[in-house]
Amino acid sequence: MPVPILKQGSVLIASIQAALTDHDLLQLRDELAEKVGRFRSRGVIIDVTALDVMDSFATRTLRGIAATARLRGAQTVVVGVQPEVAIAIVQLGLTLQGVPTALDLEEGLDLLRRSMARDLPS
Amino acid sequence: MPFRMTEFAPSDIERRLEFVNLGSDDRTRIAAVQRDVLDHLDEHVAAFFDHLARFEEARGLTGRAELIEEARRLKREHLVAMVSGTYGREYIEQRFRLGQVYSRAALEVSIFMGAFHTLMASVGRRIMARYPKDPLAGFEHFTSLKKVAFFDIAIIVDAMMADREQTIRQQQEAIRELSTPTLQVRDQLLILPIIGVLDTQRAKQLTESLLRAIRSHRARVVVMDITGVATVDSKVANHLIQTVEAAALMGASVIVTGVSADVAQSLVTLGIDLGRITTLGDLQGGLEEAERILGYSVVRTTAIDAA
Repeated sequence: MPVPILKQGSVLIASIQAALTDHDLLQLRDELAEKVGRFRSRGVIIDVTALDVMDSFATRTLRGIAATARLRGAQTVVVGVQPEVAIAIVQLGLTLQGVPTALDLEEGLDLLRRSMARDLPS
Repeated sequence: MPFRMTEFAPSDIERRLEFVNLGSDDRTRIAAVQRDVLDHLDEHVAAFFDHLARFEEARGLTGRAELIEEARRLKREHLVAMVSGTYGREYIEQRFRLGQVYSRAALEVSIFMGAFHTLMASVGRRIMARYPKDPLAGFEHFTSLKKVAFFDIAIIVDAMMADREQTIRQQQEAIRELSTPTLQVRDQLLILPIIGVLDTQRAKQLTESLLRAIRSHRARVVVMDITGVATVDSKVANHLIQTVEAAALMGASVIVTGVSADVAQSLVTLGIDLGRITTLGDLQGGLEEAERILGYSVVRTTAIDAA
């Protein structure tokens, strides 16, 4: 199932609705990379609230998306990691290093707003 | 063997009967002395409860009308079933219920054993009276019945133990819950004081409850104070790191405070790297740093008297 990507001002929001296959993840990565350029976005939010498992491939792809988006000039925030998922990720020794996380969509937007304000020359 | 009625398979019952060495000869002998028990039920039951009445420690049972009524009824049932010759699942369930009544009455195993022995002595006298000329036969018949009695005792004691163990488990659970409170001190700021020993089980539970609290309080910063943790070894440090990382995935940053000089030295000696974790000297320092991150500033509104 492909992930819908919404545009909200200068931010792209990818809201994952159901468990993803590896193929879906790669498709998400490619689509985000393309849309960041097309919409000249400054931020990307990936909402993983609906996911109750995250394996090594998923975490690696998320890190990849964040790195790609950064090269294209946008900052990525992963939001909505469930407590069980967080514990599993840590216990499996996986990381989301380099990818900021926030509690939910609202916090994520807030985080992006703050870091964008910091980047702007005052 | 764990003792729960639902886990009781027919093979377990067979095994228990083998443990007390109850054979078909025994069943025949028990049938022969059936009347000695059934015709004097009240006498035998009275022997049991009169014995209990003599002891202050048994007041939990003898002093409570509703329990003693049930116990008497179950004990009568017990004696009838004991000489019936069938010792199946239903029989064990009855013994199990009786054990639960004793356990609810906080009856000590030692007192119960004394009372049960008195009851068996009362039954034994009746059986011996049946064979006045042949004491050996009397003894053998009594022994057969005693096998059933020991079979019963094992079940009743197991039931009492299982009940007690369950209570202990529930209390442990409650203590564990109580020992890891997560407190909100400001909007989006939680403190988590940890006191005592951090084992794997507790660290896991602590992480879970912290993550739940982060979500429900929408926390962005957590100050974890480990002043009360006596020893931090590599295992405990690893737990702490995992907790901090899991919280970070939920979007909260964790500040660890209260690392004592001893703990700090032992961490360095063990070569454990807490570099990825923000640590500060004491809880106050942690709170001030958290307030800074969240953009709070605390202002004193009245000046302290210049004494």
